[in-house]
Amino acid sequence: MSILLPILLALHLPPQARVPQPAASPASPSVHSTSAYATSAHAPSSATSPAAPAPRTIAIDDRLAADAGLHVGDQVVVSSTPDGPGDTVRIGAIMKRNADPSEIARNEYEVRLHLDQLQSLIGYGDRVDRFAVATRDSAATRQALAAINQAAFGFHAYRSTDIAVETSETFKVVSRFHRAIGVITIVASAVFLLCILLLKVDERRRDVAALRLIGISRASVMRSVVLEAAAVAVLGSLLGVGLGFITSGIVNAYYGALYRTPLRFSIITPGIVLFAVVLSLVLGIGAGILAARRLVRTPPLALLGR
Amino acid sequence: MRSTLALASLRRSASRTLLAVLGVAIAAAMLLDMVMLSTGLRESFRELLVSRGFQLRLSPRGTLPFDTEATITGAGRIIALLRTNPAVATVSPVLGGTVHVPRADSTVASFALGIVPSVQGDYELAQGRDATAANTLVANADFLRATGAHVGDTVRVAAGYNPQLRSFVEERRLVIAGRARFVYLSSGEPAVAMPLHTLQEMTGNAQDDRVSLLMVRTREGVDPDSVGAWIDRQLPRVQAISTRQALDEVDQRLSYFRQLSYILGGVSLVVGFLLVTTLVTVSVNERVGEIAVMRAIGVSRAHVVQQILLEGSAISIVGAVLGLALGLVTARYLNTILSDFPGLPSRIDFFLFQPRAAWIALGLLVVSGIAAGVYPSWRAASLPVARTLREEAVA
Repeated sequence: MSILLPILLALHLPPQARVPQPAASPASPSVHSTSAYATSAHAPSSATSPAAPAPRTIAIDDRLAADAGLHVGDQVVVSSTPDGPGDTVRIGAIMKRNADPSEIARNEYEVRLHLDQLQSLIGYGDRVDRFAVATRDSAATRQALAAINQAAFGFHAYRSTDIAVETSETFKVVSRFHRAIGVITIVASAVFLLCILLLKVDERRRDVAALRLIGISRASVMRSVVLEAAAVAVLGSLLGVGLGFITSGIVNAYYGALYRTPLRFSIITPGIVLFAVVLSLVLGIGAGILAARRLVRTPPLALLGR
Repeated sequence: MRSTLALASLRRSASRTLLAVLGVAIAAAMLLDMVMLSTGLRESFRELLVSRGFQLRLSPRGTLPFDTEATITGAGRIIALLRTNPAVATVSPVLGGTVHVPRADSTVASFALGIVPSVQGDYELAQGRDATAANTLVANADFLRATGAHVGDTVRVAAGYNPQLRSFVEERRLVIAGRARFVYLSSGEPAVAMPLHTLQEMTGNAQDDRVSLLMVRTREGVDPDSVGAWIDRQLPRVQAISTRQALDEVDQRLSYFRQLSYILGGVSLVVGFLLVTTLVTVSVNERVGEIAVMRAIGVSRAHVVQQILLEGSAISIVGAVLGLALGLVTARYLNTILSDFPGLPSRIDFFLFQPRAAWIALGLLVVSGIAAGVYPSWRAASLPVARTLREEAVA
């Protein structure tokens, strides 16, 4: 359940500009802005009404503009219910959707109105859902929090970061899930790598036997095998990084288009690349040592099958 | 004979066979988890929706049930209209809201449902009586824990807080008649249910007879979608959402998990396939001399092919069986992680075990195991016998 005020604003558009029916979301005006926002919630039901002498302006998001075929300067009627009386307004701006992860799954449109107009439309009086307060620095934030929480009985002030932490719980869960999947993938990769290296080393039993018989030391054979494993791991991880960048681009393009958001779903940071390469190297060298030990402990003649 | 030779061949390199089986097992575990994830959430949600027997949910047009705080006015008139349709068996109105229970040093906020006890479909009574009288409520264990109250106690319940008067508004003294388990709520969320009219009066929704949702149970043999279409025609300000439509909405909202399951399931299958192919190919390369000898003494091509296919299949089947057991354990762990999703009903499982999922995973792995043996067996069957024998003898 949303803890904020539910507002259903019916956006009455020309019949030919029908739009899907998304769910509604709360309005949330703030004192540092002269505008309020709400999300349209209903399919259009009537043609544009006659323009008022000086219609006020609203801003709509680009998805609504695209789906409903609206442009800056168009006049529409907004009301709180599909068949209720509304206000004729002019579209003053088309805005880009915010990169807000919490809105991804909600297929909603967003309309921003002037605060007093929204209050009047929904019969909300001089009430608001929340205030946003800008402070100069972190010390001022602490002072403001203390002052508001002491003075305004019945209200509570929160830091924006605290609210962000609270609302990002969903993404923390997804992140934990991804980490668990990552661990399973790493275990699978390690087993795969070890298996491949064992096979590679086994293939060279005769070569190694010959090297040992002409006097090459066990340590040299071991070093060469480990070095080869490290080279394979580095090469593989570099290829993997390249593949990662390509798939990351595909993921961002696909989900960006699916959810129509500028949000980036996959970000490859230098830290992630370094972690991947180092992990791959450690796994590769570990697998190489295991495979090489097995090989050098076997007598050369046994390696030759005699 | 064929299976004996195949097993002997696998036993010859026991350590790498073991590693391959382990690799296939991990791939199989991941595959099973992803098959469970791709279908589990939808099935789990479907079971939740139909568990109380209501096939249709009516919410304010443009919204999903309890997705916003929008309400439907004139609930009584709507219920009367719905009852005129012979296909409608039961209508259950529900109003949602928040109530506060003042305590000495704090206030407990709780989700509240206004229901008609005789037809409600939101909770199962676990202890005590239902909230049939106007001054009673039923509460869940989380509410009782948060307030320290017990069944039979009387608690002060307020609908809101007036910051100007600095007092609670619409405060009532209600008796906790029973303890209930709420079907659609997440675990850890305090919740109460009380008679619809009581909550309407407390929250100022009585005058317009507002409700958040109407749940409709249709008669047996009736198509709920046709009743939904009739409701949409009769009531332009509400929309009837059938179980199918609700499932479609869930599919759309959580499509990420389904797509992730397809991608990771596909990758697991490919990894398992490559592992078995590599192992069997190398194994064939190592014993081309043996194969050439077998062919020279009269063993047929089909025999050789079958033996190598058996090797690939054996690794896949043993790995798959181990992987299915491993997959159940990892699915449980992953489900525990995802069950922490805020607001998710506690009865929803992302990874729901269904025998069908296990059969699909097992079938895919067996097919991939057989396919993995195709290339090496073709290679073995097409060896030039005389040349291979000569080369092996020289080597």
